[in-house]
Amino acid sequence: MSLTLYCHHCRGKRPLSDFVYGEIPKVPDSLTDPVERDLDRGFMHDNVEGVVVERWFCHGGCHRWITVRRDTRNDTVLSPET
Amino acid sequence: MNEYVERKVTFTWSEPRSSYDVVIVGGGGHGLATAYYLATRHGITNVAVLERGYIGGGNSGRNTTVIRSNYGIPEAVRFYQRSVELYEGLEEETDRFLMHDKKGLLWLAHTEMGARAERARAEVNTAFGAKTEYVEPAQIKEICPQIDLTGNGKWPVVGASYHSGGATARHDRVVWALAEGAMNRGVHVHQRTTVTGLVKDGERVVGVATDRGTIGAGTVLSATGGWVTRLAEMAGLRLPIRSHPLQAFVTNHYELQFPSLLSSGDLLFYVSQTARGEMLMGAELDPQPSYSTRAGHPFIQSCAQRAITLLPFLRDLRVLRQWTGICDMSPDYSPIMGTTGVDGFLVTTGWGTWGFKAIPAGGEQMAELIATDETPELIAPFSLDRFARDRTLADRGSSGTH
Amino acid sequence: MAYVRTCQRPALPGVVVESQHQGGTTPPLPLDIPQKPAVETRHRFCDTVVIGGGSAGTEAADAARSEGHDVVVLDAGAGEEVIGVYPGPLVVARVQEGPSSTTLQVQPREQVIVATGASAIQPIVPGSELRGLLTPVAAQHMLDSGIDLGRSVVVGTHPTQLDLPHESGELVRFEGDARGQLVAVVLQDSDNQRRVECDTAVVSLGFTPRNALARMAGDTPVQVVGDAALEGDLPKCPPDGIFCPCSGVTMDDLEGVVERGFEELELVKRATLAGTGTCQGSTCLPYIRSFLSERGADLQPPFTARPVNRQLTLGEIASGAYDHATPRTELDAEHRRLGAHMERAGGWWRPWTYGEPDAEYWAVRSGVSVCDVGTLGKMQISGPDALRLLEWIYPTKVATLKTGRTRYVLMLDERGYVLDDGLVAKESETRYTLTFTSGGSSFAELWIRDWAEGFGLDVRILNQTASLGAINVTGPLAARLLARAGVEKLPGFAAFRRDTVCGIDCQIFRLSFTGELSYELHHPAGHSVNLWRRLIELGEDLGIRPHGLDTLLGLRLEKGHIVVGQDTDYDSTPRRIEHEWAVKLDKPDFVGREAVVRTNSVPLDRKLVGLELEPAGAEAPIQGASLYDGDRYVGYVTSSADSPVLGKAVMLGWVDVDDAGEPPPNVRVGGAAARVVAPSFYDPDNLRARAKVDVAALREAEAAGATFSASVPGPALTPTFERLEATRIVTTPEALDEALGEGNAASLQGARAMRTAADEVLVLGKVDLISIRESLRDEHCIVLEETSLAGRWIDAELAAEMLERTCAWERPGERPAFAQGTVADIPVKLWFEDDRVQFVVSNALVLDLEERLG
Repeated sequence: MSLTLYCHHCRGKRPLSDFVYGEIPKVPDSLTDPVERDLDRGFMHDNVEGVVVERWFCHGGCHRWITVRRDTRNDTVLSPET
Repeated sequence: MNEYVERKVTFTWSEPRSSYDVVIVGGGGHGLATAYYLATRHGITNVAVLERGYIGGGNSGRNTTVIRSNYGIPEAVRFYQRSVELYEGLEEETDRFLMHDKKGLLWLAHTEMGARAERARAEVNTAFGAKTEYVEPAQIKEICPQIDLTGNGKWPVVGASYHSGGATARHDRVVWALAEGAMNRGVHVHQRTTVTGLVKDGERVVGVATDRGTIGAGTVLSATGGWVTRLAEMAGLRLPIRSHPLQAFVTNHYELQFPSLLSSGDLLFYVSQTARGEMLMGAELDPQPSYSTRAGHPFIQSCAQRAITLLPFLRDLRVLRQWTGICDMSPDYSPIMGTTGVDGFLVTTGWGTWGFKAIPAGGEQMAELIATDETPELIAPFSLDRFARDRTLADRGSSGTH
Repeated sequence: MAYVRTCQRPALPGVVVESQHQGGTTPPLPLDIPQKPAVETRHRFCDTVVIGGGSAGTEAADAARSEGHDVVVLDAGAGEEVIGVYPGPLVVARVQEGPSSTTLQVQPREQVIVATGASAIQPIVPGSELRGLLTPVAAQHMLDSGIDLGRSVVVGTHPTQLDLPHESGELVRFEGDARGQLVAVVLQDSDNQRRVECDTAVVSLGFTPRNALARMAGDTPVQVVGDAALEGDLPKCPPDGIFCPCSGVTMDDLEGVVERGFEELELVKRATLAGTGTCQGSTCLPYIRSFLSERGADLQPPFTARPVNRQLTLGEIASGAYDHATPRTELDAEHRRLGAHMERAGGWWRPWTYGEPDAEYWAVRSGVSVCDVGTLGKMQISGPDALRLLEWIYPTKVATLKTGRTRYVLMLDERGYVLDDGLVAKESETRYTLTFTSGGSSFAELWIRDWAEGFGLDVRILNQTASLGAINVTGPLAARLLARAGVEKLPGFAAFRRDTVCGIDCQIFRLSFTGELSYELHHPAGHSVNLWRRLIELGEDLGIRPHGLDTLLGLRLEKGHIVVGQDTDYDSTPRRIEHEWAVKLDKPDFVGREAVVRTNSVPLDRKLVGLELEPAGAEAPIQGASLYDGDRYVGYVTSSADSPVLGKAVMLGWVDVDDAGEPPPNVRVGGAAARVVAPSFYDPDNLRARAKVDVAALREAEAAGATFSASVPGPALTPTFERLEATRIVTTPEALDEALGEGNAASLQGARAMRTAADEVLVLGKVDLISIRESLRDEHCIVLEETSLAGRWIDAELAAEMLERTCAWERPGERPAFAQGTVADIPVKLWFEDDRVQFVVSNALVLDLEERLG
């Protein structure tokens, strides 16, 4: 993993260990039944092998969330998102 | 002469047929074990195992070789205990040297709450057939003289559970013995064969598309470790699996003096000495889901630091190598085995950080399911639909480390 | 003279050289080694890292410098051995300094350049371990130094510039005498074998690029220059020899495994263990690749390159890592002074017992006792959308809560599982205080912030867990004690109000975890010690004594109160733990609502129930004890205690239910019989907890009117830090932009202001809270005194040295500057001035920080 993430609240790159990971769940549009959608949102993962958008909580500094784009194939952060 | 060179196992490679009764995707421990037990227990040999790399090249070749059954819920204790027992007879059965060593596992507690948890572990283990007892610091020191019971003054050891069934075995050799045993009975194992799609007839899966052509199948089993989501997608299946890196490292080899496996729940760290004399260590998962197997610095820095806290002699040993595997993590830290709701498509997945120890039992049970078309009682609790049925298997004894 | 092995360390002063041929003894594993001091680490930031100080490396470094780069060169010859190029990128090196070493962690902003050269391919024919073999480079050095090489020849197929006789042909073997000294080399030219006598043989078989550092870098862009960028020669495999000296693997072994179907390079490696020794394939890899490609396979890529590239010890690689620091409340020293046995629980240091658990227990049940519950999670939420946020995160109705009252709440996740429990307290329609379990507060904050942000809610959120202390005054005499303490009015059950206790401003919550009359006093943490001591002094004649966590766990168990994480699992639904009363489906949508409906529609499998041993008098079973119905396992005990007041053992536990959703009426545990009961064992009607309190009468009786001196927060908790006067402000980003301007190092009312987030600022120094509130023009702002921070000014140079050792991220260059992040693994705020730096840290972790700064 890129050792660091850029936290725009803290205005600098910080070690990954300063953050807590947060997945952004995505329920497929093809699921229409509300019960199935609820189950999917609660348990299922896209588990993407490619570019994902996710969140990280900066618990070592500002205590705020940042949004990040990362390629899970080589674990490289592509760009921070505001 | 180097005693560790493999001198007996002989692989029989073959050309792929156009179809098989059973196609197993994934040439790791679970896939090969299923093929092995299909052939040896059920006489089903018209089986192909498809591996996109080399056999055992995934988690089966990267794990820290821990075999244990000291889990926290009855369903898990029963299942892993079956695997512990199968491992104990595997060398004799396959007539192959697996470096199986029953050396016991100490699981340390550093707080009163931790001590209670270890007593609870011993309790549920004993009730369901695993051999675990609670031990005091004096006994811990006897079992493992190298330990610093003060935890470098920071993490004192107040007690532990001792699981005498804890063991290790050489991971590669387990994979090879199972592969060879299956091949000798006519099972085909095809390396460098990547499954690119599933072939369906209506709603039923009837084969796989590969980069070496299409192969028909009566049943397809996914045994692919961290890449199961891709294959499941091809079947239109959503899975509660997230793939996370798990790292480990090893030292040079030293005289065989470290007596047992050692684990700490509070410090999220574990260590054992391999048959060759290397100290093998690991810690917890990387926090981010990823398919990258690059080794990281924070992991080894932190893992080494925890190791030294408990075992000061490790400080002067030399690090040899670190590596990473990709663990298919399930929400309740328990595996997912059996039918999927898609006809002709079965899974053995969600093996997370607990896969190697389960190879024989996982293979045996999946083979029975395939052969009899009925889910055996031992693995029925691990079905995929348990999440929908509110029957998850939250297991505090499943550590997310080993 | 030995040839240079690729894993050999340069012979600098202090390095001990031992001769160890293959097949040498295995080093012992020592038994009794004491702990030693940590190896120091240094963090360095630069633009370019060049690995290798030879000609190619020097050239690359000069080129980078000419472009204005800050360049770091790491040269193994100078004792700087790079052990890995890690993701980051991060280049870690072991630096020899005299007899010891330090670890250097370099983070280049722009690029990594690998200029590590190439190593000579080693011979593997029989006799390759004899003395008298040299690489061409070594031979040239010796000739240049005037060393007499005796009868010397150059062998091998790779051309050299050496001014020595060259012998043609393929190597067959080297022959030596009884002392292990070379005497002859045997070579093969087509069909002829000939023996050439010699004292020295220079072996020239070609080169293997030392590019492992580049190959392990993955997708980190790494430039490889010089010989390290060579393609690499593939030497012909001789029929005999030990091709992996590290692991003692012979050509016969290699042929054997390949013949038996191990055709993949990785399988060959694993089956022979070639390449798994200390040189990690430097010697054997070219031969294996050559061997396999000679047999018709495509040339396979080398083994996966992985750290570590050079041997180093665990102590050296652990350098820079820290223990997880366990926070403590401001009363920690008090507890230890009172002789408490301290335990880590819920992520904090807590007093387990003060040595007399029976006395602690009875002080609660029949007198008055105090308990430090400062570890509880606490949060302030205010804003127009505060209620909407709370209705979303709690399955409980919040809108029906009246001002000045509290309500017990569960917090569920999207799967309908209990994440945490606590209280919500309503100060106004738009201002609430929330509490969580000690272990759950960190998660609660990130969870709540995520939802607030996701919905774009207009709220102000402040985590006050460490900022506020909390002392629980509990027991039948609790109100009497508080009357003495000068409280005007006490809140009724499930209510709260602000008042002064012993002269200290407190938010007083009346609730009951212990089952007795209880008041939880939330106050700025800096006043905890004064409040604690004053209460204990005031209550001396009432037999007051503090109680610890062990006693508290027993007390709450007698009331059947759950402890989330102990009595609940990861997948506990409200229905399973019989807390459906805390879930209302006829309220606005909340997290987990659909999951609750979904799980309610499937049959129930188990319940958390109360259990009583009978006959009474049998000893309480352990936590985790198995429960049986006949010989059927039906569950286990989650909490267990001998109840002094009831004279029997009481438990909570999981029990399987039947099709009607009912547990068996009786079970067996450890051979004893137990009845399944409703878990409220003691005072089930809550008469004691809800006892009526006539404060006025108590005040009269206790001669209230006693005055207390103003409480000043105590001194700093460590010798080198001071306690800070500070103010936390949470408001709208716009209001802060207006008040502070741009930049995150600002000032407010003449005091330094750290802009910790767009909507939050920490002001250091004395300011007027009322005028700040007014000037912000945000009626929902949170402006609170902060007493729980410690600060230390350190001279800039010394601070730089400390941070170089303890801080893995780059600090800002401008002055003044504010930065926050972890230092020595502890969250710290830094304020930079020209000649000094202030380190600001929570008192909960100041002791750890002081120790680590050194």
